[in-house]
Amino acid sequence: MIRVQSLGKAFRSGRRQVEALDGITFSVGQGEALAVVGKSGSGKTTLLNCIGGLERPDSGSIASLGVNVHELSRRDLSMFQRAHLGFVFQFGNLLSYLTVYENIEFPLALNGIPRRERDLRIGELLEKVGLAGSARALPGELSGGEVQRISFARAVAHRPQILLADEPTASLDSQTGHDLVRLMLDVVREQAASLMVTTHDPVVIELADRILHLRDGRMVDEALAAEL
Amino acid sequence: MSAGTFAFWLRIAGLFLLRSRRTTVVLSLMVLLSVAILIFLSSLAVGINDAMVRNSVSLYSGHIAGIGLAADFVPSRLEIDGVDAVVKRIEYRGLLQQNDRVEPVLLVASEPADEVAATALWRKISAGRYPLAGKAEILLSEYTAERLGLDIGTDVQFRHGLESPPVNFRLTGVYRTGIDKLDRGFAFCPPAIVPGDNASWSAAVFLGDGIEVETVVRSYRERFGDAAQFKAWHELMPDLRQLIDLNYVSMSIVTFIVFGLVAVGVSSAFVIFILKNLREYGIVKSMGVTPFEIGLLIGLEVGLMNLVACAGGVVLGVLASQVMSTIGIDLTDFTSHNRYFAVSGVVTPRLTPYSLWVPPAVALVFGLLASIWPAMLVIRGRTAEIMRGI
Repeated sequence: MIRVQSLGKAFRSGRRQVEALDGITFSVGQGEALAVVGKSGSGKTTLLNCIGGLERPDSGSIASLGVNVHELSRRDLSMFQRAHLGFVFQFGNLLSYLTVYENIEFPLALNGIPRRERDLRIGELLEKVGLAGSARALPGELSGGEVQRISFARAVAHRPQILLADEPTASLDSQTGHDLVRLMLDVVREQAASLMVTTHDPVVIELADRILHLRDGRMVDEALAAEL
Repeated sequence: MSAGTFAFWLRIAGLFLLRSRRTTVVLSLMVLLSVAILIFLSSLAVGINDAMVRNSVSLYSGHIAGIGLAADFVPSRLEIDGVDAVVKRIEYRGLLQQNDRVEPVLLVASEPADEVAATALWRKISAGRYPLAGKAEILLSEYTAERLGLDIGTDVQFRHGLESPPVNFRLTGVYRTGIDKLDRGFAFCPPAIVPGDNASWSAAVFLGDGIEVETVVRSYRERFGDAAQFKAWHELMPDLRQLIDLNYVSMSIVTFIVFGLVAVGVSSAFVIFILKNLREYGIVKSMGVTPFEIGLLIGLEVGLMNLVACAGGVVLGVLASQVMSTIGIDLTDFTSHNRYFAVSGVVTPRLTPYSLWVPPAVALVFGLLASIWPAMLVIRGRTAEIMRGI
C-alpha cells in the first residue's frame, strides 16, 4: 500500500546542511499499523510529511496505492490527498472557526458526499469518539483529548486508505492517549486502512503491528528495533 | 465548478469571517470608514465646484445666455424641462451724466420681480433698494455712483445714443459684488423706461439643480436654430471653467493620493489578516484542497468582507453627504473675498455616480489584489512549512 524507496531529505539550518532522512526504505501493507519511533529530531515527522505529500523529498520515491505522489501535479496531489489520506496531527489542528460537526464535515464535503450521508457518517463518528453532545462546540471549547478525538474523526470521516498520525498522544495523559490509540486501531482495522503513526508512547508501540526505528534520519535495523 | 461546491466554499468563507469576529469587525470597520470618507470627500469636491458655478451664474448671468432674441420672441418659449427661470433683459449702451461727470454704462432693463426672484444681485445691495417696476429708478454699482458723485435719492441722466432724448433716473440703490465686470459699467432699471432700440433682447436662463447645461443649450439650438445665439456659462466664463477643471484635476490628484494611502492600508490589513491565519490554510491544504479552491476560499473571504464593509461604507458616506447637503457647510470665513463665492460661502456636497462607485471599487480591487500574494504563498508553499507558520 505504501512503498518507500531510498528516501532522502535535507534541511538547511544556518550554514549547516542537516540530513533529516537518509536512505529510508520500507513498506506498509493494507490493514497494517506501523509505529515510527525515534528521538526528537530523528526525522519521524519529516518522513510522515513526505509520505502525506506535505513535504517534497530530495531523493528516492514514495508509492502510495501505486501512485508516486511526488510526481503528481499540485492539483492531482490535492485530489489524491482528499480521497485517500487522513492526517491526525500532534495538536489536533482543527479549523478553529468551524464547529466539531463542520470540521468532520469538511473532508466529506470535499469528497462530494451528499448531505444525508454526511449527517449519518458524522453522527456515527461522534458516537464512536464519545463526543455526540459536542457537535456544535468550537475547538476552543474542547479539552486536548477531545480535540485529538475530533481530529481523528475528521481524519477517518471519508474512509481514507492511508491514515498518518504524528504523535497523536503526545499532548494527552496516558489513559486518554491509550483510549485514542485503541480507537484508532479499531477503526483502521475495520476500514482495512494502513496506519503510520510516529510516537514515543510505549502503548502505541505495543499495539502496532510493526515498528520502524529512526536515528538521525537513518533506519535502524527493524529486528534490532524490535529488541530495542 | 458546481453551484453546490461554490455554495460550500461560500459557507466556509462566511463562517471564517463570522467566527473571526474581532478581526473581521476591525478590518471591516477600516474598509467601511475608508469608503465612507472617500465618498464624502468626493461629494464635497463636487459640492465646492457646484457652489462656484452656482455663485457665478446666480449673481447675474444665469446658466445660459440667450443673445439677440427678436422682440416678438416670447420668454416662456425658453421655459423647457429643467429650466427654473428666464429673465428677459434689454440692454442699452449709453452714458450716465451728473453735472459735468460722465460714465459709460451698459444699462440693463428687466422686470425687478423677475430679477429679484432669479438672481442674487439684490443681495449685494450695500445701500438703498432695488428699483421698483414701472418707475424711473436706477441701481448702480458703488464704483459708478462714486465716480458720478451720486447719493441715494439723487437724480442722474442717461443718454442712449446721440439722437435719443435723455432719460432721468433716480438712484435708489448701490451694490458691490466684488466682481470687476459687474462692479464697473453696469446699471439696472425697470423695462419700458428707456425709449429707443427694442429690436432684440437677451435672456438669462436659470436651470434646476443637477440639470446638464449642454443638454438645454442643445435643445435650444435644435428648437430655435438661427433665431438666437445661446451660450452656456462656461463659454461666457472660461476662467471659471478653467478653475473648475483645475479643481477637478487637483481634487483627482488628492483623491488618488488618499485612495492610494487607503488602498495600501487596506491591502496591508488584508495581507496581515491572511498571514495571521496562514496555519489554518495549511491545515485546509493538507486535507486535499486544490490550489484553485484555496484561491477561491481566500478570494471569497476577502471579497465577502469587502462587499459587506463597502456596502456599509456607501450607506454611511451617502448618509453623511445627504446630511451635510441638507445642513450645508458654511465656508464663508474662508471664501468672503473670493469672487467665485460672491453670493454665498455655503457648500452643499453632491453625490455623483463617480463618487459613489469608485471608492468601493478601489477598496474591493485592492483587497483582492492584496490577497494574491498570501494566496500564492499558501498555494506554492510546502504544506508542512505553512503549518509550522513559516
